[in-house]
Amino acid sequence: MQPKSGAQALTRRSLLLAALAGTITARPSKGEDFLDQDEIRFGLTPVFLNSDLELLDRFQVYLRKVTGLPILLVTRRTYQEITALLISRQLDAAWICGYPFVEAQAQLQLVAVPIWRGRPLYRSYIIVGADHAPAADIADLRGDIHAFSDPDSNSGWLVTNALLAERELRAETFFSRTFFTYGHRDVIRAVASGLADSGSVDGYVYEVISELEPDLTGRTRVLRRSEWLGFPPVAAPLLPVSPRRLEVLKAALLGMPSDSDGAIILKTLRLDGFGREDASLFEPIARKASLVAKLDQHA
Amino acid sequence: MRSLAAPKRWPLSVKVPLAVAALMILVGAVLSERVLAGLAETQKVHLMDLAQSYLDGLSSALAPSILRDDTWAMFDAIERAESLNKGVRSIETVVTDTEGAVIAASDPRRHRLGSIPANVSQAPFTFIPGGNEAEATRQISYPGRTIAIIHARFDTRQLAAQRRDVLRSLIITNGTLTILLAGAGWLLVYRMMRPVRILTHHLGSAERQIPASIPARVIAQQGGEFAQSFRAYNAMATWLAERESLRLRLAEEERLASLGRLASTLAHEINNPLAGLFNVLATLRSHGEEPLQRQRSIDLLDRGLRGIRDVVQAALTLHRSDAVRALAPCDIEDLGLLVGPEAARRNVLLRIDATLPAAIDLPSGPIRQALLNLVLNAVAASPPGSQVVLSARCDTASFTASVSDEGHGIAEREAAILTGRSSTSILELGSGVGLWATRHLIDDLGGSIGVRRADPHGTIVDVSIPLHAPVPQHASKEMFDVA
Repeated sequence: MQPKSGAQALTRRSLLLAALAGTITARPSKGEDFLDQDEIRFGLTPVFLNSDLELLDRFQVYLRKVTGLPILLVTRRTYQEITALLISRQLDAAWICGYPFVEAQAQLQLVAVPIWRGRPLYRSYIIVGADHAPAADIADLRGDIHAFSDPDSNSGWLVTNALLAERELRAETFFSRTFFTYGHRDVIRAVASGLADSGSVDGYVYEVISELEPDLTGRTRVLRRSEWLGFPPVAAPLLPVSPRRLEVLKAALLGMPSDSDGAIILKTLRLDGFGREDASLFEPIARKASLVAKLDQHA
Repeated sequence: MRSLAAPKRWPLSVKVPLAVAALMILVGAVLSERVLAGLAETQKVHLMDLAQSYLDGLSSALAPSILRDDTWAMFDAIERAESLNKGVRSIETVVTDTEGAVIAASDPRRHRLGSIPANVSQAPFTFIPGGNEAEATRQISYPGRTIAIIHARFDTRQLAAQRRDVLRSLIITNGTLTILLAGAGWLLVYRMMRPVRILTHHLGSAERQIPASIPARVIAQQGGEFAQSFRAYNAMATWLAERESLRLRLAEEERLASLGRLASTLAHEINNPLAGLFNVLATLRSHGEEPLQRQRSIDLLDRGLRGIRDVVQAALTLHRSDAVRALAPCDIEDLGLLVGPEAARRNVLLRIDATLPAAIDLPSGPIRQALLNLVLNAVAASPPGSQVVLSARCDTASFTASVSDEGHGIAEREAAILTGRSSTSILELGSGVGLWATRHLIDDLGGSIGVRRADPHGTIVDVSIPLHAPVPQHASKEMFDVA
């Protein structure tokens, strides 16, 4: 599968989602029934360590305990599906990636940003197989089979494409072949197994996995670390589905470090907590998105 | 030792266990082959089922991913299928597109995406019993159109090891059974052959002496056919003992008969000189005081007495020779001395023509007796005025002698007895006992007798005895005591 241009995909998706959102708004009775269920619907993208079902359970239990409301955790395979649900207001909030956030910023609001190692920042890594031919720079990866995480992932697609765009290169032609794994951990698996020669992966996920599964990351090597960028945030529709629910959810996230169950979850996630951040945190990501979009327009 | 080299000569107690062992090995081999073939078929069916299930699951998991060209999903599907189907022990799974290029593989390092894999089987299923690997191929069709081909290799070392274990068990079981049955066969045959061994032992002793009867106690221990055989053997042994006794009696009678035939001529031979000697004694009495006359008389007495002594000595040598002495020229010459008087009585000229070395490695007794019988018969068959010739030669290989006469020729029946062509029983011989005894004397020395007609009439009997021939064990002393 060839990666689509983020800008193009988003444009089409934005139109579709806007139309869908409009439909829901235009038919409030049905929407109210749905919204009046008084259940917090929280979306999770694969940026989260979604393989850990136990962690999801703990997270759900914690949110229910703190908010006093039923919690429905919604997971999908791709970022796009979660983002579409969020923009179409079928979710109260979702933990999405910085890239879809900046792309749909007009329709979204920031709820909270995870704090990792004291800052709401993370990096994108370009990794190569441990047995990869000597490489010092992305230029040495020409002709590789490259694994991306998701076409809507900042660290798993946008950062590498922007890096190439800076050199007026496109991933489709620079690499001999690219594919998506729809999960950062699977990017590491793809590179470790030799299915891909190199891959673009979330630096936070890579660090956590190297701690939990050193054998897996041991078969890879980090070739390049990007600059620090805004950590994938928790976002909500600009017009909240239920302001009350959003507020209790936000409070639950921000108060996690002070709760024993919340602290355990954060410890498992290797996070310090959630903080209130300004949307400007994601401007570097927005610049990368426009850089890639500009190259696509020239193509 | 040569007998052991020839399987036909092996004893039954060896042959039967060997045959049982060979049969068991054959049966074991056939059974083992059947068991292994059955095992191979079972393993094949089992592996085919596993492979089928693996490929079925993998095909359905892969098809949507192949249509979407979702590389990761294909790889993940293979990894999940392998971990879910551990029983099939997949070594490698490669998925190729319709062009033969790799679109997914369990080991992407070995089969890089887009490469053309080498050495992948195209056969639907390949399994070699005892082999370390099996292969299977499956086409993925969606819908009805082939979109990809799965090539899978499976580790079958465990099946091979199982096959080796079964083979080892078969060899151990069959080997043990073979040894046990061969041992049981030996024991059984050994016990069954006991009566035969008893019979063989008695028959073996009969080769050297008169066969001994099997004791009644031993016969009683046997039942059925063997008791019957033992009784038949005893009857035969008794008959043989009687026959031997009769033969000895006949031989003794023949010896006495031939002695009788010689006695009168010997008496005549002694009597004639005795009369002259008495005359000399009378002369000596009356003219003994004359030295010349006395000396002449003493010389005459000396010669006469020497002649008598020689005749008596020859007769004694012939009839009382117990010691086995080597044949010497004097033995042949003595025959002339012994038969001479009888020949003279019949007015037959007896000529001895012997050219022999000082000692011949043959016993003198039986040869003297045999030749004496032949010469006496020749003299008896000769008309007055005719000649009988005894000639004897010896070279490095054999001693030969021939006795010729000018008679009317020997009767066919007698010639047959002499040469051994006749199977006439000793009880039917009658007057032929002398000839029969002669033939046996020569037989015992490993020699042969030939009879031919002389020209214009008469008979020549040729005797040939090889030197250094093994003398048969049963060469009987009493044979050359005949006469």
